Amino acid sequence: MANLSPKTAQLPGSDTIFRKELPGNGTFLAYPNPTSPAVYFRGYLPVGSLSDPIGKNGLSNLHAAMLSTGTQKHEFRQLHTLIESCGASISISSGYLSTVFSGQCLKEDLALILGILLEMLSQPTFPQSHFERLQQQLATIFKIQAQDTDEMASQAFDRLYFRGHPYAHPQIGYPQTVSTISLEDLMIFHDTAFGPHGLVVAFAGGMDSERTAALFEQVFSNWSVPHQKTQVDLPSWQPHGEDLREHITIPEKSQSDLIIGTSAPAAMSEDYQVCSLGNSILGQFGMMGRIGESVRERSGLAYYAGSSLEVGLGPSCWKVTAGVNPDNLDKALSKIKEELRRFISEPVTQAELSDVKQQALGHLPLSLESNVGIVRFLLSLQRYNLSLDYLRDLPAILEAVSAEDILACAQKHWGLDRLVITSAGRAL
Amino acid sequence: MEDTIARTGGYSNALTSPDWTTYFQTLPSSDLEIAFRFESDRMVNSLYEPEEVETERTVILSEREGNENDPQFLLAEAVQLAAFSQHPYRNEVLGSTQDLLSLTRDDLYNHYRNYYQPGNALLCLAGSFEIDPTLALIKRYFEPIENHEPVRSIPTPEDEITAAQKVELQGPDEADYIQIAWRSPKASDPDFFAYTLTESILTGPSSLSMFGSGGIGNRSSRFYRELVENQLVASVYGSLTASIDPGTFNLNLTCRGDHTPDEVIRKIDLVVEEFLEHGPTVEEMAIALKQARANFAYSSDNITNQAFWLGYAHSFADYSWFTHYVNRLEQVSLEDVLRVARHYLDPTHRVTGVYRNRESLANG
Repeated sequence: MANLSPKTAQLPGSDTIFRKELPGNGTFLAYPNPTSPAVYFRGYLPVGSLSDPIGKNGLSNLHAAMLSTGTQKHEFRQLHTLIESCGASISISSGYLSTVFSGQCLKEDLALILGILLEMLSQPTFPQSHFERLQQQLATIFKIQAQDTDEMASQAFDRLYFRGHPYAHPQIGYPQTVSTISLEDLMIFHDTAFGPHGLVVAFAGGMDSERTAALFEQVFSNWSVPHQKTQVDLPSWQPHGEDLREHITIPEKSQSDLIIGTSAPAAMSEDYQVCSLGNSILGQFGMMGRIGESVRERSGLAYYAGSSLEVGLGPSCWKVTAGVNPDNLDKALSKIKEELRRFISEPVTQAELSDVKQQALGHLPLSLESNVGIVRFLLSLQRYNLSLDYLRDLPAILEAVSAEDILACAQKHWGLDRLVITSAGRAL
Repeated sequence: MEDTIARTGGYSNALTSPDWTTYFQTLPSSDLEIAFRFESDRMVNSLYEPEEVETERTVILSEREGNENDPQFLLAEAVQLAAFSQHPYRNEVLGSTQDLLSLTRDDLYNHYRNYYQPGNALLCLAGSFEIDPTLALIKRYFEPIENHEPVRSIPTPEDEITAAQKVELQGPDEADYIQIAWRSPKASDPDFFAYTLTESILTGPSSLSMFGSGGIGNRSSRFYRELVENQLVASVYGSLTASIDPGTFNLNLTCRGDHTPDEVIRKIDLVVEEFLEHGPTVEEMAIALKQARANFAYSSDNITNQAFWLGYAHSFADYSWFTHYVNRLEQVSLEDVLRVARHYLDPTHRVTGVYRNRESLANG
């Protein structure tokens, strides 16, 4: 059995993570990295493509893009010259459940960058010329996506797997829905649904946590949307109970992408860490786990072949993916199914279990080495309502996982008669 | 090896550039010895068993097939081939399909035995460790390895693209893409720093972070303003790579469909002409320098990147190239930038590559 002895006291915890409630149900988190001359921050507002009106898929995504095209104080060119002239970056994008903002700058420029961020979020001007430009860019992106085997296999998977749920639709929308979105739609969305309520933000780097919290509060106190609509709840959803298969034909492609998926536990649920260790054995550990060993190392069928747990708030999925020569698609599928059959038929070995437990714990300090890694961890704490001492508690949680627990989870999720399988590439 | 490194919580990988091959591990400092054990073993005891060679051959062919799905890969490969007449920089690092099919196990093994020598290797470390005991460990693992001087084939540097060249590709319905390559000086050439500022002003600064934090946007750059903001293309970016011999500075664009590649190229020519006539402004130089300082700070964000730069800089100069990077940029004058830009950004010495989708060709 693994010797689990991490230096837990050195990991971020309740005594070292700075957390503060913000007005309007917001949260501020920070963890200092004193050797860094820079600051990285990332946050989210709980409004995303889930709020897209029927027939206007992609509205939230386009709205997020328009937030970078000019403010009441600075038109597009001034805005980006101001940001880039101090070597900083700010980006804003939309997910299903939230609009995410992030930025990076030298610590001496933090006040300036936060002020600009607030302008972008709260005082956009939605210039017509940039709206037309972004519409045209999206049209180009749709064309490129239609030729991208990875993207098309992935969209087909979401369509089949999440059917009847908003996650079945790409956040970017479709050509026919994006073309119906007007500038007025974006302004109405901005005025009614977009605001600071429930804002979460995390900082890491060379800044002082308390002073940064005060600065952030001071800057963002100028933003309020009194009648901000609350985002609708995620609809309930049940996994399908049948085998589903779809192939998207894209001629002249030399490689096909393959996805095989099933249900996954909710993020940070009781089963989550069990499945996470199981997933590591199945398709991640070393050179992509058992799947990589079978499909890549022993058979030479693919450059990449592995598995991933795609979990978040709402329905989640557990996927095996591979990029293979079109002539080898069936062969790769058969090899993957062989490994899945083994995964649900017999417990993983004690050696495998020990390996992935050691990996999970050993990786903790490395994952927190950079400002980006720290911020990602802080936001997970908040998003999944975890204790600030979560990392310190993790060794005991992992220690308790047995091979039988993983087998039970594998059997619960990987029903081989109810897989969703999609691929994209040359005709079958 | 992979499993042992993974067991520590660390990760390992390998990269091949035109100038070097690197194997790297990032792992807890308490497990550092594992890296020395593996790398000293890899240097002399790799077997290249025929069966493994055949499996790896199909894996790399698969990697190439995945890349070939992307028209920008095909265009970049064709442009690079045209940008050099004989220097190995003309070849795609991954190899052509034909080469990958015809390479023998002995070709690979002979390459390995020739070049994998301790005297031809550089070991870089960054992170939390004591220097003296670590040096003792390194000696323990690497000193016993007998060194043989590799038989080298030294390529002749190509200081210029001798004439304007055009590369045209066609493909299935998709966007049109443009890639223009100009010669760039070798990284140890003092002009490389003026070229770095030229790149920053024209296309935005290249990130110094191979691993970890991202870079800075390019929306205030001249090409973005003239081409993206003015609605001629969907995206533009540039890339200048530090290399042992003169390389290329590449400008990459994704067209939107409402302007032909030829219209876009005419506009590119105007932007370059304007720059070559008047040079950068004082404000642009100040912005480029501040961006370089910020990029340098972001690049120190993690130890993998620190170790990477230690070795990368040594491949074409020495580590002071990186540590003095910002100082060297600060010494560049407006006149230096103008002189270097006029020398290198010559429209009669460049490769212009265009990938056209068949739909736009059919529509004229």
